[in-house]
Amino acid sequence: MSRHLKTALPKELLQRTGLWRASSIHCDFRKGVSTGFKILDDHLPGSGWPEDGVTELLHDQYGIGELRLLTPALARLSREQTRWLLWVSPPYIPYPPALLKAGIDLTSVLIVKPKTASDTLWVLEQALSSKSCSAVLAWPRNINSKQIRRLQVASKKGNSWSILFRPASAADHPSPAELRVQLFATKTSALQKSTSINLKILKRRGGWATGIINLHFGDTLNQAIPDFQAPVKNQPQALDKEQPDSKVDGFRLH
Amino acid sequence: MASDSTKVAGRENTGLWLCLHFKQLPVEIFSRDDCLYEAAAGALQRTAAGALQRTAAGASPTGTAVVITTRQRICYRNQVARDIGIRIGSSMDTAYTLSSEIVSFERDEEKEFSTLSYLAQWAYQFTPGVSIKAPHSLLLDIKGCLKLFGGLENLKSRIDGKLYELGYTANTGIHTTPLAALCFAEAGFAEANSIEALLSLPITCLRADEKIIESLKQMGIQNIGGLLALPMDGLSRRFGVSFADYLQRLIGEKPDPQKFISETPRFFSDITFLSDITNIQSLAFPVKRLLSEFCDFLQARQLHINQMTFKLSHRNHDPKSFTIYLASPENDAAMFLMLTQLQLDKINDMPEVDNLCLAANTFYPADSVSDDLFHNMHSLERNNSLERSNSPERNNSPERIQSKADLDRTNRLLNMFRARLGPQTCFGLSLANDHRPEKAWKTVHLNQKNYWFPENEKEDNPRPLYLLNVPQELKAIHHLPSLGGQLELTRGPERIDFGWWDGNQSARDYYIGRHPCGALYWVFSEKRSGKWFLHGIFS
Repeated sequence: MSRHLKTALPKELLQRTGLWRASSIHCDFRKGVSTGFKILDDHLPGSGWPEDGVTELLHDQYGIGELRLLTPALARLSREQTRWLLWVSPPYIPYPPALLKAGIDLTSVLIVKPKTASDTLWVLEQALSSKSCSAVLAWPRNINSKQIRRLQVASKKGNSWSILFRPASAADHPSPAELRVQLFATKTSALQKSTSINLKILKRRGGWATGIINLHFGDTLNQAIPDFQAPVKNQPQALDKEQPDSKVDGFRLH
Repeated sequence: MASDSTKVAGRENTGLWLCLHFKQLPVEIFSRDDCLYEAAAGALQRTAAGALQRTAAGASPTGTAVVITTRQRICYRNQVARDIGIRIGSSMDTAYTLSSEIVSFERDEEKEFSTLSYLAQWAYQFTPGVSIKAPHSLLLDIKGCLKLFGGLENLKSRIDGKLYELGYTANTGIHTTPLAALCFAEAGFAEANSIEALLSLPITCLRADEKIIESLKQMGIQNIGGLLALPMDGLSRRFGVSFADYLQRLIGEKPDPQKFISETPRFFSDITFLSDITNIQSLAFPVKRLLSEFCDFLQARQLHINQMTFKLSHRNHDPKSFTIYLASPENDAAMFLMLTQLQLDKINDMPEVDNLCLAANTFYPADSVSDDLFHNMHSLERNNSLERSNSPERNNSPERIQSKADLDRTNRLLNMFRARLGPQTCFGLSLANDHRPEKAWKTVHLNQKNYWFPENEKEDNPRPLYLLNVPQELKAIHHLPSLGGQLELTRGPERIDFGWWDGNQSARDYYIGRHPCGALYWVFSEKRSGKWFLHGIFS
């Protein structure tokens, strides 16, 4: 079908920028924030995470790479904008040495810990619509689609990217979020040096849901210890140098 | 008043003085919120003197009759009380026969004077030369500020308008000498800045002993012109040197130095409600009014504040106060109002309110930050930097540019969070100078911004994005940690040794452990006990 269309449309019409084609997700003119992973960029409209709107990340287990998936984009936002990266009630302490290592400017990180669920929603809405946050990360419990809809509107108004971490069971229910991605842990074999994550885009602009995408982080976390027997008998191991990308340069004492 | 800080103004031949006489001050200190409701009903008119006064004849049926008593006798009354026929000097019993809905207050001269001082501080926004003339008048040296306010008429209408917002009414008198201005204001005559007008004033306007006025009347002298036609040395012999001196100062033959108020950066203002306010939401209006006074006060002194305190009180309840903290010193009425609203929303145990007050003691000089003229340039630059950052050279990260508008928005958000959630619930993160993982970070109070960054990065080992507050002990199976499934250790160990300096020695070997489901954890085994702990999550 698409081949048929391609031949049917004159070439100059195709090159006109105002033309939207259902077959291409790159017709979205709003440029996204690059995820830092080529394979994911190719599947997202605007070649990256959206700059505003609600993005849902659905997963049940912590530690599968749900934040490592975001850190390249967050690092970029924190350095290019003077706005806050707001973390609303994170489940654990976002560990500053690791954030710094991921390239995030700590002076733009703001943590807010509201006590009640209604305060959490209030914080989210105010922060998103205030225009002073580049991204807002939240772990809401029991949020309904009406509330997500409000956050979506607020985030469009304030030009802020809202990231909601929700349980995988939420995938069964529709949501007004602009982008929904379900995350699955991968059982990396010991042979692979880098860890990876499987993800499935459930909802995106200008495209259908995708199948499972396997994404490699390019880190060294999975580097197995050769001849590792027992932790009792340890000898200092030569650690692999980190890849230059994950280092932070240009930091000065503020 | 400290004498060293008091400026003594010398007399100039062509001085110009404006006198504000608060004739109804004893009433208005209690009833000033009342006239706002009348204003809403549109029952106002401008009198010839320029002061805004209430219309007579009960045009505002909602108004409350307020009387002020001393020793059980009525000494002051408001317009509504006058309209229903209450007279000065009659007793409260007589008043109650005329109407049962009279609110009465005992006269409070102390409060009158403190209000007058407050009004003097308020008048400081118009001119630096403000002097208090007890009991109910203020003198403003307006010669130097006419040009700033665009002429006498503009200045007068501006003062009237602002006074009306405050809820006070005043008669205005303008003349070349302070005493003459005072005479005009107290007489309530339309001011006329000429010596003829002064000469035609009746002698009852003079601020002199009643005996003198009486004997002058018996001499057949009706106005000041007649009085001044008499020889001065004769008057001085007959009525005393001080009276002659007064007359000479009145007509400007003798200098009349005034004691100007010294500027005290302290703010306190309150509103008393005639009827109890039971709904906290309806405080919004008086709050707005206090805040606009406050902002004028700050504006006139070029000051900013970072905290202010509201106090709600009622005669039958314990007073309740709340303090509003700001992220940085500011003067922004709209934001103050919003933050106050947030605090008011939280109050639920105050059934009634009859007095609202606002106070601030700590002030900061306003930094004169000007907004940039080429505001759009910043967004342009930002876009450029966005393009640039695609290139590999990340070392020279673009200079962070933050315009005032951005800063305002940022502070606004912080202020809102603090006002609703409390000051401790939002914070930033920083590294700390310690090699122990749990101490290698700290929270940053956003007022202090005490971020710490290492001079040179030496840490190359992986660190998890999540850290557990307290390490969680794990079960060990065959000397390997387990958390709902045996963890496979993939990377490590990294030895972290501490406590050797205080005898609390402990050594930990950190590993990355992989859960069967694929999640990565940061675990350590304590050397001494051999126990396993979970300390972080590579999320």
